[in-house]
Amino acid sequence: MKSKIRMIAVMALFTLLMVLGLTNNQSQVEAASDSGTLKIGMEANYPPYNWTQTTSANGAVKIDGSKQYANGYDVQIAKLIGKYLHKNVVVEKTEWDGLLPALTSGKIDLIIAGMSPTAERRKQINFSNPYRKSSFVVIVNKDSKYAKAKTLNSFKGAKLTAQQGTLHYNLIKQLKGAVRENAMKDFSAMRQSLQSGTIDGYVAEDIEYLSYKRVNRNITAINISKMKGFKVSKSDSITSIGVKKSNTKLLAQVNQALATISTKKRNQLMATAVKQQPKAGSSQTSAEKSQPWLVKTWKQYGNMILGGVGMTLLLALVGTIAGFFIGLVVGIIRTIPTPTTAGKKAFLKVVNWLLAVYVEVFRGTPMMVQAAVIYYGIAQLWHINLNRTVAALVIVSINTGAYLAEVIRGGIISTPEGQFEAASALGMTHNQRMWHIILPQAIRNCLPSITNEFIVNIKDTSVLSIISVSELFFVGSTVASQTFEFFPTYFIISVIYLILTFTITRIFNLIEKKLAGPKNYNLMANQIQVGNPEDEVK
Amino acid sequence: MTETNQTIISLKHMQKAYGDHQVLKDINVDINKGEIVTIIGPSGGGKSTTLRCINLLEQPTGGEIDFHGENILAPGYDLNDYRAKVGMVFQQFNLFNNLDVLSNCMVGQELVLKRSKDEAKKIALENLKKVGMEPFIKAKPSQLSGGQQQRVAIARAISMDPEVLLFDEPTSALDPEMVGEVLEVMKKLATTGLTMIIVTHEMAFARDISDQVLFVADGIITEAGEPDQIFNHPQNEKLQKFLRNFRANSL
Ligand SMILES: Nc1ncnc2c1ncn2[C@@H]1O[C@H](COP(=O)(O)OP(=O)(O)OP(=O)(O)O)[C@@H](O)[C@H]1O
Ligand SMILES: [Mg+2]
Repeated sequence: MKSKIRMIAVMALFTLLMVLGLTNNQSQVEAASDSGTLKIGMEANYPPYNWTQTTSANGAVKIDGSKQYANGYDVQIAKLIGKYLHKNVVVEKTEWDGLLPALTSGKIDLIIAGMSPTAERRKQINFSNPYRKSSFVVIVNKDSKYAKAKTLNSFKGAKLTAQQGTLHYNLIKQLKGAVRENAMKDFSAMRQSLQSGTIDGYVAEDIEYLSYKRVNRNITAINISKMKGFKVSKSDSITSIGVKKSNTKLLAQVNQALATISTKKRNQLMATAVKQQPKAGSSQTSAEKSQPWLVKTWKQYGNMILGGVGMTLLLALVGTIAGFFIGLVVGIIRTIPTPTTAGKKAFLKVVNWLLAVYVEVFRGTPMMVQAAVIYYGIAQLWHINLNRTVAALVIVSINTGAYLAEVIRGGIISTPEGQFEAASALGMTHNQRMWHIILPQAIRNCLPSITNEFIVNIKDTSVLSIISVSELFFVGSTVASQTFEFFPTYFIISVIYLILTFTITRIFNLIEKKLAGPKNYNLMANQIQVGNPEDEVK
Repeated sequence: MTETNQTIISLKHMQKAYGDHQVLKDINVDINKGEIVTIIGPSGGGKSTTLRCINLLEQPTGGEIDFHGENILAPGYDLNDYRAKVGMVFQQFNLFNNLDVLSNCMVGQELVLKRSKDEAKKIALENLKKVGMEPFIKAKPSQLSGGQQQRVAIARAISMDPEVLLFDEPTSALDPEMVGEVLEVMKKLATTGLTMIIVTHEMAFARDISDQVLFVADGIITEAGEPDQIFNHPQNEKLQKFLRNFRANSL
C-alpha cells in the first residue's frame, strides 16, 4: 500500500516535469546566442563531416570543455558562417542522440553534424538550406558476392546495417530480402564489423565510401540512389543545419551565409576534409609503423587518457564524498524517533516521505537516464546552462547519496540498542547520542559499503559519456574510433580501470585498519611508568 | 502520609502496559535518600520494567514518579537533567564500543554536565581507581573481560555524580569467578551514602546490603520490608515459594 502511493508520487513527479518541459518549450528565448559566440553541436566523430583531433592543425576549432579540437567539413562550414555573422565558433561535442535535445534546450545554437532534414526532425527543429547533397551507397568488401549488385533485389540474404538513428538504417528496408542487423553507433564500429565479417555491408553516403577507400582498398560501393524503384525524399539526400524553431532570425542569417559559399568552394572543402580526416595506417611513416602500437598510441593519446583518468577519479571521489554527506543527512533524518507533538510529527512524516521518494527514484532509475534528464531538463526548464563537469558531479553525488542513505540508515539501525540506552541513561540528547556514540560506530560498520560504492562509481561514471563528460570511457571510445584499434584500446582502458579499483580497495582497507585502532593497549599499572607528560600535568 | 524530605523517589500507582499486556499493574514505593533497595522476584515479574520506567527508558502508561516530590511525568519536566541525576548500570554493561575506557567515563560529564576536559578526566580517573580499573584506561571495551567491563560501567555511572544509581542484574551476565569483584565494588559504593536500587538474583548479597527489599511478582510489589523480614519471615505464599525454589537451586 505504502509503496503504491510512493510509486504514484514518483509518476506524478515525472509527469509534472514533462508538462513543465513542454509548456516551457513554447516560451523559450534564444539561450546561448546573445553572446559573441556561436555554439555548434556535432559528434566530432563522423569524418569527413566532423572529427576530433589533438592539435589545432588545419584550422581546427577547440572543443568546449576539453583540450581537443574538432575539424572536418562541418567545422569549416561553421567557421564560414561564424565569420559571416562576426561570431566566435565553439564546438560542443555531443552524442548523436543528444543533438536535438541540446538544441531545443538551448545548449547549442546550431547543429552542423552531417544531419539530414527528415520530416520527423522538422517537427522539432528548423533546417537551413542544404549545405551538401549526396547519394546513397552500400559499402561491401570487394570479394563479397554482393559487390556486383545491380538492382535493389540483389541483396537477398545480405547482413546489412547502418548508423543508429539515421535515415540510412531505414533505407535497408528497400533492399528486398536483406537482413537488417542491429544499427551501430558510428562508422568506426561499422568499418570494424565489415572487416571482421560480422556484416556483409552497410548503408552510408558516398562520402563515407570516399573516406574509407583511402584507408581500406578492399572495399567497394554500390550506388543505390540510381537503382530502379529506389525512393528517398529529397530532404533525405541532403544535409542541412539545424536551428531551434523559435530562432527564426538565426535561421535567416545562416541561409544568407550559406548563399555566399559556392558549390565549387563546398566541393573543395569536402575534398580537403576527406584528405585530412583521421585514418588508420596509411599516413604513418615507416618509422612510426615499426613502433609497437601501445607506444605509438600512448605518445599520441597519453595525455588525453590521463585526463580521462583524472576526470574519472574526480567524479568518483567527489561523488562518493558528497554522496556520503547527503546519505548521512538523509540517513539521520530517516532514523529520528517519532516526536511527541502533533505538528512536529506531521512535519517529520512529510520530510521522511519526500526522502523516501528521493531514495526510491534515484535507486530505481539508471544513472545514465538521470544524467540525460537532469542535464537537458535543467537547461530546458530554467535555461541554466550547466557546465558538463558540474552536472556530472551533481548527478554522481545525488545518485551515490541515495544508495548511501540506505547504507547509513542500516548502519544506524544495526547499532546495538544498548548503546542508545546507555547514552540516554547518561542524559544525552538525541543529537549527542547520534554524533558521539551511534554515528561513529555506524559509519565504521558502513565503511566496506562506502568503499564498494566508490569502486562502483569509478566504473559507473562511464555512463556519463551520455552528456559527453570526457571521463576515461569517453576518452577510450574517442581513441578507439580514431585509431580503429578497438580491442587494444578497450583492453588498455579496462586495465586502467582495474588498476584504479585495485589501488583504491587497498587504500580503504588501510583506512579501515587504522580506524579499528591499535590491537594492543598499554597497561597503565604504574602512573610513574606512564611516559605521557600530558597525564602528569594535572 | 506526609512526605519527609528524606524521600527521594516515590512511585505512585505506576503502571506499564505493552498493548494489552499489563506488565506493571500498580507499583507503590517510597525510597529514601541513601537507602539501598533491592528488587527480587520471579523471571518476567516486572523487575527490569520497573527500573526502566524509573529512568524513563520506558514510558509508564499510568501513575506518577516523584523525584524530590516533583512528578517527572508532568509535561515540561527536564528529562535529560533528571536522567543525568539517575544513573543506570546494565546487565549487558553497554559500554560505548567506539570509545576507550577513559573516554567512556568522560563523555557524559563533558556533554551533559558540561565539565571541562581536565575536570572530567580527573573525576573519571578517580572513579576508575575506585573500581580498580585505572590501569586499563586506554583499552577498548572489547578488550576487557565481563567483570572488568561492568566495573568500568559503574565508574562511568558514578562519574556523573548521580543521586540515585539503578542496577539491573549487574552480575547475571558474568562468569561466576567475576561476580565477586563487581559485588565488592557495589558494597563499597553502598557505604558512600549513594541511593541504590538493585535488581538482583544474588540473595545473599541482597540480604547483606539492603535497607529495604521489594518482592515484585505479576506486576505488583507483593511484599516489601527489611531483609530479615523478607528472607527469614516471608508472609506471602509466592515469596515463600520463590525463596524455597531459590534455596533448592543454589544447593
Ligand atoms: N518491549 C516489550 N514488549 C512487550 N512485552 C514486554 C516488553 N518488555 C518486557 N515485556 C514483558 O514484560 C514482562 C516483564 O518483563 P521484565 O523484563 O520486567 O521481567 P523481569 O522481572 O526483569 O524478569 P527477568 O528476571 O527474567 O529479567 C514480561 O512478561 C515480558 O515479556
Ligand atoms: Mg530483567
